[in-house]
This record gives sequence, C-alpha cells and structure tokens, in this order.
Amino acid sequence: MAELPFPLPDLGEGLIEATVLEWLVAEGDQVERNQPLVEVETTKSALELPSPQSGKVLKLYGAPGEVIKVGEPLIVFEVADDTAGIVGTVPSEDAPKRRVRLNANLDED
Amino acid sequence: MSETLTTSEAGAGAGTVTLSLQGALNLALDELLAEDPKALVLGEDVGTLGGVFRVTSGLAAKHGAERVFDTPLAESGILGMSIGLAMAGFHPVPEVQFDGFAYPAINQIVCQLARMNYRSRGAVPMPVTLRVPSFGGIRAPEHHGESLEALFAHVPGLKVVSPADPQQGYSLLKAAVRMPDPVIFMEPKSRYWQKGEVVTEAAAAASAAAAASAAAAAAATNDGGRSLGAADLTDAGLTGARIARPGRHLTLVAWGAMVARCLQVADLAAEDGIDVEVLDLRWLKPIDAEALASSVGKTRRAVVVHEGPRTSGLGAEVAQLVTERCFGTLKAPVERVTGFDVPYPSGDLEDEYIPNIDRILFGIQRVLEYKRG
Amino acid sequence: MEMTTGRHAGAAVHHTVEGTDPGLNVQTYEPEHPAALPPVLLIHGFASSIALNWEQSGWISALREAGRYVIAVDLPGHGLSSAPEDVDSYSPSRIRADLLQIASDAGARPIEPGHPDSGLDVVGYSLGSRLAWEFGATQPAIVRRLVLGGPSSRDPLAEFDLVAAQRFLADGTPIEDASTAGLVTMAQASPGSDMYALLSLVEAVKEEPFDAAEAVPKQPLLIVAGEKDERVEGLEGLHGLVPSAKVVVIPGRNHVNAVTARAFKQAAIEFLGEG
Repeated sequence: MAELPFPLPDLGEGLIEATVLEWLVAEGDQVERNQPLVEVETTKSALELPSPQSGKVLKLYGAPGEVIKVGEPLIVFEVADDTAGIVGTVPSEDAPKRRVRLNANLDED
Repeated sequence: MSETLTTSEAGAGAGTVTLSLQGALNLALDELLAEDPKALVLGEDVGTLGGVFRVTSGLAAKHGAERVFDTPLAESGILGMSIGLAMAGFHPVPEVQFDGFAYPAINQIVCQLARMNYRSRGAVPMPVTLRVPSFGGIRAPEHHGESLEALFAHVPGLKVVSPADPQQGYSLLKAAVRMPDPVIFMEPKSRYWQKGEVVTEAAAAASAAAAASAAAAAAATNDGGRSLGAADLTDAGLTGARIARPGRHLTLVAWGAMVARCLQVADLAAEDGIDVEVLDLRWLKPIDAEALASSVGKTRRAVVVHEGPRTSGLGAEVAQLVTERCFGTLKAPVERVTGFDVPYPSGDLEDEYIPNIDRILFGIQRVLEYKRG
Repeated sequence: MEMTTGRHAGAAVHHTVEGTDPGLNVQTYEPEHPAALPPVLLIHGFASSIALNWEQSGWISALREAGRYVIAVDLPGHGLSSAPEDVDSYSPSRIRADLLQIASDAGARPIEPGHPDSGLDVVGYSLGSRLAWEFGATQPAIVRRLVLGGPSSRDPLAEFDLVAAQRFLADGTPIEDASTAGLVTMAQASPGSDMYALLSLVEAVKEEPFDAAEAVPKQPLLIVAGEKDERVEGLEGLHGLVPSAKVVVIPGRNHVNAVTARAFKQAAIEFLGEG
C-alpha cells in the first residue's frame, strides 16, 4: 500500500484558499473516483470537490470553518501499489489463449 | 526464460529482490540520485505526486524538492529546461507523462537535444535520459498510447532503448543515465505492474567479490547466449540485444511489451514442436545487428513484432539488417507482425491493433510454410 | 480542474421566442438509470451560472444519481449565454417565456395524469427562485413541483441603486447602500461576468419587480434557506402565501454556501421524488 496526498487544487480565477464547509467522507472510508469529498467555500462561491481517484481515506486536513491554502494538504489516500496511473487500467495477466496452430515439416532443414 | 538473474550459481545465494517494473525503475532512479549529485528528475507530477505511474514515488522526499521537481504542463519546456541544465553540467532525467505528449517536445528533442553534440563538435554533450511511458495495453484514451520508436530512431544523435521486464528496467535505466548521450527511454506501460527478480548492482558486486572469478565466468556463459548475468551488470554488457529465450527453428525479434507476448507465443509454439528463440532487442538505436545475425544465422527464420504502424516501422529496419547479413541462409523473407497504418486506437480497440498471440502465430506459420520460387 | 461531467451533457435544440433568439446556453444531462419522473429545470441566481450554481456545487451529479434528467440554463448575460444590449432581453417576463420554450424543446411536456414522467420540476436559487415562483404560478399545466432556494419575498434587485452602481463603475465613487454595494462586489467576483449585462438585468428587474402575491404557485412547494442567510426572515412572507409549503432551514449556512449543502440537495431530491 502507498500513501497518496491530494493537496487543495488550484480553483482558478486567482483564488488562493478555501474554507472547509463540510466533509462528505470520513477517515477510513473507501471512496470512488469523482465521488464528492468535501464542500469548500471560496471568496466567490461554494463548491464540492470530487475525488481525483479511488482509494481509502487515511487522513483529512481541516475541520469545518478552517481555511486551507491552494497546494496545502487536503486529504491523504491509501492506494494499492499496483493501482493504475490517473489514466488507463492495469492489464490483467490472463493465461495465453490461442486459435492458431502451427504445422511445418522441419525435416527439410 | 533462460535468463539466470540469481547469483546462486556463483554461490552467493541471496542477492535478488522481487520488484515490479515501476519499483525497479524507482530503485534505479533512487540509486542514481544517490550516486550522482548532478542527477535531476523533472516532469509533470514527478515530485509531489510521485508520478502517475508511481515511478518517482518518494524520490522528492528523499533527495529533495530541488533535485526531483514538478514542472508546468509544457513538454517543450521540460525538454528545453533539461537541455539548459545539461549545458550547465547537470544530468537531467526528464519525464513526459505519456508518449503522446512527446510530440509537443519534438522540436526541442530533434532540433536541440539530438544536435547539440554535433553542433559543438563534442564540446557540449547532452547527458539527458528522457523517460517516456510508452506503447499501449492499458486501455487509455487518445495520446496516452503511442509507439514512437521509429520516429526517435530516425533522429541522428539520439539513442533509443526499451526495457522488457524489471531487471532490464533497472539495469538499462542506470546504463542510459550514465551515458554522455541523449537517450529516449521507452518504458512499456502495460508492464509497469509485472513483478520479477532483480539483481541490484550492489548484490551483483557482492556476489562477484564472494565468488571466484572463474566460477562467475562459468556461470555467465552457461547458456551460451547473451543473457544478462551478474557480470553483465555494467555499461558494456548493456549496449546490445539479449536472448530472452533460446531456440533452434525461428527467431522472434521484439522489444518492450512485445517481448513478454513473444515469450508466451514461444511456449505455445513449443506445443507444436517449433522451437522459437526470442531476441529482446533492448536498444532500438543503435540496433545490435551482430546479435540479429548471430541468432537468425542459427535459426534461418525470423519474424519481427512491434506495436507501431507497419509502414516505415522499425520492423523494416530489422528485416533489412537480417537480410543483409543472412540472405544466403534465410529460409524465408523476414515476416513483420505489427500495428496497422492507422492512429494508435484508444480503449478496447487496442485488442484489435496490438499484435496478439494468434497474429504472431500466423506470422510464424507464414514463414514456416514459405516455399521458394 | 475538471469539474463537469461533460460526456453526459448535451446542448438542446432551441427555437426563437417572439422572433428573436435569446442566445441562452442550455445544457441537458442524462441520468444513467432514469427514474419515471419528469425532467428538472435548474435556474441559477444573480451573477452565478450553470457551472457555479449547479455543476461545481454537485447538484447535477446528485440529481443524475437520483435518476433525474436535468435541464439547466444560463440566464442572459451569465455563464455562456450571450449578453444582448437591449434591456428587454433581461426582463423577467421575457426570461420566463424563454424558459418555457427551452423546457419544451428539451422534452418537457404538460402534466398528464397516469404519466409520472410528464410535467416539469423546477429548482431555483436566489433570483432563480423568484423566476421559478412566477414560472410555476403562470405555468400550472407544465410545472409539477417547485423548490426555491434562498428566496426572498422582497426584491433586493428592485431596491438596487443603479445610479450609484454606474457611478462606482465609472469613477470609483463608493456606493452608500449596503445591499447594492454587496451585489456589485458579488457581480465583480463572478468569473466571466459581464458587468454591463448584469446592470441591464437589474434595470429590467426594476421595471418588473417581484410581487409574490401577484401570482401564487399552486404546486407542492419546498422552500430552503441557510440559517445565516439574511433573507431567511423573509421566508415567512412566501410561507404565508403558500401555507402548505414545506420549509427547511440549513443550520450554519449563509446565502452563498447553502448552495452546496447536502441537506439542501437531499431535501430537494426527496421532495421532487414524490409522486
């Protein structure tokens, strides 16, 4: 297992921080990619942050009302070592299947 | 596999570790950063995140954020920065996150990185190893699966290499980074999670010291091939191809992810009484023509397998190198089993595009049944 | 950062209303497992947008997960909609006509007994609540259920000091009226907002100020507001007009951050899920 930290992402529009409103997951929860993690509020709006990936929630940073700066830790996931990257899936190692058979007269060699 | 990576024959017993290709590459980078204060790792998400494929995991924490650092999402900038750092005496190991994003950096790679050595008459070498997660097999979207070896191999001044398994990943990455030349290091992303035994350099050195040199030499020549033994874990032993499996009737030539598939095919061919040799080319520029000649000179038949499109693919170069050296003894023209002349497809279409077991077996059958005249 | 679920979003066909194309951006979202319930029309607030009010706040994914087909529209001068120069394009009556055409083009059809997926459910927030209230009251044949978030029985936009705002934008003269100053600050903070379009909207609203008693919706009604929303005291005015309305107050939330609250979404989805 590996720990994968996820910092508060750049929320655009020059925003440098966000206030935690409410966590939608708890430490120990198994979350799926795109599942809402937390409600935060910036100086411009309130928004839900979707999970960048699936994994187990190891640690949450920031109680409701606390301010987190962009780039500071927001959440730490525990992910399997053989988890695929952000893109794609881990290929399965199936036993090889064949339909073609070989036949040759090697005696001519 | 004939490859004897354990050092047990040399009497050392232990000395291997089981690692995924990811882990083997990570270990190689870790050791390179430790041994070479001029080595740097840079790229998108290689620092804080540890790479989307975890290859650089933990390196920033261990070696410092000034030596393992995240760059903006701009591949041309990643390569431009690496070239400048190399000119200033550093040994950068940049990463482009996926092969399809090497394209935005092509100008820097072709017009600067590959030429600086020529342009300066050798005064400004470019010890840059560009890591490129390559090829298909993980059902990724467009731009996240490409087979660029023919493009890179066509550029004078670049070396191109692709490891097939964890041991190759560990050893070839170390060899590449220590070279004074720019190397394109094509990591087969579908093999990242495959585990294998790896002899580290420390373990190899320990076993070499423990065993009598004569015993070590005997062990290294046991299978008569070019397989990688402890004694080969040096730059000199890592410049050519290797026989991944010896055979008598036909040579399958492959690199990267296709090596594992060809080894599966060789097992299946053995059920039909056909003894296939699998030659892992490893270095795609320069190609080890002598290894090709030696293998095909023995088997007299060859099939080359690659994921990239057929036309002007590296298979044509391999076929010609074999033909030039083995024309008189070849039983049949060299057969190519390749991707198609279409853009690399995404998702499930990969299964139709990447040479599969049956297509490779068909290629072998065509060579076996070839009749002259 | 990618916040939207673009692969499920589509642009709907549209017609002109009274011979002019309002140029409104309409997004529709298909659920993966459709429930036998009508589409949901979302109307955002002043200086907000589909993206801010509904996508980034998690509303669209929550509604899709509940099996709802969602129709969302950017109001004129907001989000990706065009910002016409004529004030008439921003009048609430014109917007209501545009919403009817948009809902109909997106597949909403009149309520038909025995067809649980007929009709249209409407969710509005802030200014969108005012539009939803009027839309429900004037379109009883199509609107089935109404959810009003952060509504006001008074009309903060109608009381907006337009002259002071224009002077502030021209030379920085401070705005004395606190409500006007607050709305201008909010509009300036809104990503991609067209300040002059927003002022045109204010001008149009002043011509047609909200009068809740003038037309009262007969549909089942849910009213939701944050406990710290200064408009929460005005809820009684609306509740008085529709005594059967269900009222939910979200503890600890204000007018801005009640939008994302799970309690708000859950109350709305539950209420709109009733037959």
